[in-house]
Amino acid sequence: MSVWNYVVTAQKPTSVTHSCVGNFTSPQELNLIIAKCTRIEIHLLTPQGLQAILDVPLFGRIATLELFRPHGEAQDLLFIATEGYSFCVLQWDSDSSELITRAMGDVSDRIGRQTDNGQIGIIDPDCRFVGLHLYDGLFKVIPFDNKGQLKEAYNIRLEELQVLDIKFLYGCAKPTIAVLYQDNKDARHVKTYEVSQKEKDFVEGPWSQNNLDNGADLLIPVPSPLCGVLIIGEETIVYCSANALKAVPIRSSITKAYGRVDVDGSRYLLGDHAGLIHLLVITHEKEKVTGLKMELLGETSIASTISYLDNAVVFIGSSYGDSQLIKLNMQPDANGSYVEIIETYVNLGPIVDFCVVDLERQGQGQVVTCSGAYKDGSLRIVRNGIGINEQASVELPGIKGMWSLKSSIDDAFDTFLVVSFISETRILAMNIEDELEDTEIEGFLSQVQTLFCHDAVYNQLVQITSNSVRLVSSTTRELRNKWDAPAGFTVNVATANASQVLLATGGGHLVYIEIGDGTLTEVKHAQLEYEVSCLDINPTGDNPIYSQLAAVGMWTDISVRIFVLPDLTLITKEQLGGEIIPRSVLLCAFEGISYLLCALGDGHLLNFQLDTRTGELRDRKKVSLGTQPITLRTFSSKNATHVFAASDRPSVIYSNNKKLIYSNVNLKEVSHMCPFNSGAFPDSLAIAREGELTIGTIDEIQKLHIRTIPIGEHARRICHQEQTRTFAICSLRNQSSAEESEMHFVRLMDDRDFEFLSTYPLDAFEYGCSILSCSFTDDKNVYYCVGTSYVLPEENEPTKGRILVFGVEEGKLQLVAEKETKGSVYSLNAFNGKLLAAINQKIQLYKWTLREDGTRELQSECGHHGHILALYVQTRGDFIVVGDLMKSISLLIYKHEEGAIEELARDYNASWMTAVGILDDDTYLGADNCYNLFTVKRHSEATRDDERSRMEVVGEYHLGEFVNRFRHGSLVMRLPDSETSQIPTMIFGTVNGVIGVMASLPQEQYAFLEKLQTSMRKVIKGVGGLSHEQWRSFKNEKRSADAKSFLDGDLIESFLDLSRRKMEEIAKGMDVQVEDLCKRVEELTRLH
Amino acid sequence: MAEELQFQMGSILGDLPSFDPHNFSQHRPSDPSNPSRMVPTTYHPTHNRTLPPPHQVITTEVKNILIRSFYQRAEDKQMRPKRPASEHLAGEHGNKHFRASSSSSAQGL
Repeated sequence: MSVWNYVVTAQKPTSVTHSCVGNFTSPQELNLIIAKCTRIEIHLLTPQGLQAILDVPLFGRIATLELFRPHGEAQDLLFIATEGYSFCVLQWDSDSSELITRAMGDVSDRIGRQTDNGQIGIIDPDCRFVGLHLYDGLFKVIPFDNKGQLKEAYNIRLEELQVLDIKFLYGCAKPTIAVLYQDNKDARHVKTYEVSQKEKDFVEGPWSQNNLDNGADLLIPVPSPLCGVLIIGEETIVYCSANALKAVPIRSSITKAYGRVDVDGSRYLLGDHAGLIHLLVITHEKEKVTGLKMELLGETSIASTISYLDNAVVFIGSSYGDSQLIKLNMQPDANGSYVEIIETYVNLGPIVDFCVVDLERQGQGQVVTCSGAYKDGSLRIVRNGIGINEQASVELPGIKGMWSLKSSIDDAFDTFLVVSFISETRILAMNIEDELEDTEIEGFLSQVQTLFCHDAVYNQLVQITSNSVRLVSSTTRELRNKWDAPAGFTVNVATANASQVLLATGGGHLVYIEIGDGTLTEVKHAQLEYEVSCLDINPTGDNPIYSQLAAVGMWTDISVRIFVLPDLTLITKEQLGGEIIPRSVLLCAFEGISYLLCALGDGHLLNFQLDTRTGELRDRKKVSLGTQPITLRTFSSKNATHVFAASDRPSVIYSNNKKLIYSNVNLKEVSHMCPFNSGAFPDSLAIAREGELTIGTIDEIQKLHIRTIPIGEHARRICHQEQTRTFAICSLRNQSSAEESEMHFVRLMDDRDFEFLSTYPLDAFEYGCSILSCSFTDDKNVYYCVGTSYVLPEENEPTKGRILVFGVEEGKLQLVAEKETKGSVYSLNAFNGKLLAAINQKIQLYKWTLREDGTRELQSECGHHGHILALYVQTRGDFIVVGDLMKSISLLIYKHEEGAIEELARDYNASWMTAVGILDDDTYLGADNCYNLFTVKRHSEATRDDERSRMEVVGEYHLGEFVNRFRHGSLVMRLPDSETSQIPTMIFGTVNGVIGVMASLPQEQYAFLEKLQTSMRKVIKGVGGLSHEQWRSFKNEKRSADAKSFLDGDLIESFLDLSRRKMEEIAKGMDVQVEDLCKRVEELTRLH
Repeated sequence: MAEELQFQMGSILGDLPSFDPHNFSQHRPSDPSNPSRMVPTTYHPTHNRTLPPPHQVITTEVKNILIRSFYQRAEDKQMRPKRPASEHLAGEHGNKHFRASSSSSAQGL
């Protein structure tokens, strides 16, 4: 790999951090707005459920999200503050369906210590102030004027330094906040302050409450008429106002999220750390609060946010498990639960670890993640492309074409599968045992190749061969009519639909035939100047059995032409350019838009938007799907039409939000495909490939497929062992009741069905920290090595750990050897047939030695000190790259002769690392805890020692995500000849559930794309006025610098979402053809 | 009272708010083992209204809190009406009046 890197998101963040409900898109519409770290999603509540309207990327990490309504507004506005101290107020403009920025600003202060407990952003219920708590000891106020406009912000000194929560109170004549804080004796109290606009200062508020629950962490302001505030603790809940104080003890729990149910605030949903949902009821007589009640409702994912939607349906947003839509039932079910889960939304976060494997051994990488936390932990298998689930398969080499036919035109299912070979045609049908067997259609010719078949009107079937068109009754299977090619001419290409036939014979003769009840009428004949290479009359208009247009591809002049039927009037002629002839054309419609697809002999595909009235072809785009000729065929799945492009790199073409998307099919080579929907194999496809005929169903049509394996505990490390076809994971389980609350395990799983095969429980207080599959010098066996750490409550840093070596025997973990270490084994690597461990501040090399009794043991060979904590280690040859807790990246080398490990070079910056990777011998990649990526390079050729020992930072980029792991590999199938497969890639996984791809580009391609990125920045504006350039700038607590040597693939690929006019503008500015630019960007999208 | 009625009717979850009775009325629960992945359109604004009107680009007052409080105090001072002149001016300054006797004695020293 290299220093010129392209970073792109394969899976957007899925972890839900905030949500709110209000009338955002219109005064009548109720919306749910969800924040997923760097994106917000706007949903609409409908009778059918939640309807996703828009996914909005933000150039910032969302810290607070609030809907509010200033005086005089008919609908809500959205307030967003980012972790980077920017805020914006967004409004939905329903006329243009755009988000517009009402206000924005920078709320950072030059001095000030960032709050420890996260940023707080609140809006006064009477819309007088926005309040922000961003720095210890400061409360920032942005006042509203009486027209709802924001005014200059100012700071107020806040005496309380350890603030846990701040909320505006309802029903106060002067804007009043309640502050929950901890004093320097660790006791917790609530205090109220009035904000005095005139003095720009706090005035002592109406009440305060001292000495609350030690776990009090959350305030819930109660609306009028009750007013006051609920203080949520771990053991008690207190209602507090100027004139009432009520408390209720609760079962010990940590409340993570709340949602108000009633507008008057008499009921709340509370979600705790174990995923239990409680209902908190404020009982009251008129406006006087009489007590509190807490009722357990049931279990959901561990909630990070709860939003009551409507009619007893509640959204549970989670960052530890899948988010959910639940229904609150009036009566409990058999298990005593009032909660019914009616929808779940995938969340991969937090991705703590993952591995890249090729489970199906097809050259297609899959990512298996350790996802979720606590009880919501799971493994997720993430795969790019569309899978075919094989139902049946038969060896059948030499297939030249396939078509399915019905025995009656209104049959729901297909009966026959016509399979054509070079000199025969076989008819297959399902027998009673649901097996495919040969059958006959008497009226068909079986001793010749079939060029095309189709169901026809009046219960007929059409077969086209090189000499004739045959019309056969589908009930009697007997010939009803036929059309013979003129003597001396053979039919080269042919197509048909239910009522029309179009064929071309040698010499450029185009013949149009209409099908009647037992009749074949040659309606029109046209003589073209060149031979026809392909043609299509797939109906795309309102009439499903008749096409008004015909598409014809030509030899010699390399053109595609559109003719009007029945007169064969030429209305459009499009030169394709180049020397590659079109091999397959297809008329089709997606989401109400008509397209002409035209596949070339070299694996390229051109697509045009087709004006069905005038035949005009617009918005020409070109993509490269493979290297071999492509055959196009439509099929339906889940009531939508898709196109299957059979080639050496089969793809499915579909439309999403009126944009064509090309998804890989996870099969190596497909020569022909036809839909085959039979009783035994409903909704299936027949696929001819590599000498086989396969019948299978197709996955849901989408780019990325995620399979969930819930394990009910928190998986922290994962590793695959090819030889034993197993995975091993380190996981932990929280015992809900016992004092000793955590248990850690090493578990073995089958890599096909993901069943637990074997479990090795670790000792009390012993954590699994690292896992590795490896083999050693002079030992043929493969082992799983597990590094552990004893995390004792009385120790600041672990001083003891173990390395456990397991063999897999008959599907069981067998402990072969064990070695005690003087610290936590943070990382394990296979290294020159030995084992390299990172143990606290030390790198230690162990060799695998044979004892006299024939058993094996790990024996320490050499080590290297000099780190704070060596957390992440990667190796390459004799090089060892160490990511330190706080001392960035250093490079070590193992010297064989001396048997020693020495430091070669280091980066002297103080970066707190979260992951490291090796790009090439001299270039290393790091991720830090300020959400940056950076690359460092060593100068091995430098003449001076100090130059050689200092690594230079060559690339910097703000990813905005916390990376937990880098792995070499790819999500897409690699083909030897395609351009993109020459690009080396790395995959990363993040806390918010992002799976990203980093690709190393050739420098010249990088330069080109950098230019495109610069142009894109001018065209695509940041929502809320946030700047892309600033967002991607490297930043940590000390400094900020422009991004370098990294490109934002997400921005670059959004080029394909632009209008044609904008695309052309950009292409013009860059001095390239828009078609070439599209193709180059489209190719990048196929990296993920 | 209303609350008690609800409890008597047997559900703490009675009478949940309904803003539009149609919402979710035709919702069909999906298979929980097959989670949905909603794929809405990704928004890429190309219009110019991502920037607010100039007066709505908010900044923080540059004066820091201490300076502000100084100014505020100073302002308060200016604003506060000066002590009103006494009606009995003469009486107040009475003891500053020249006393012939003492001065003469001083001179005498």
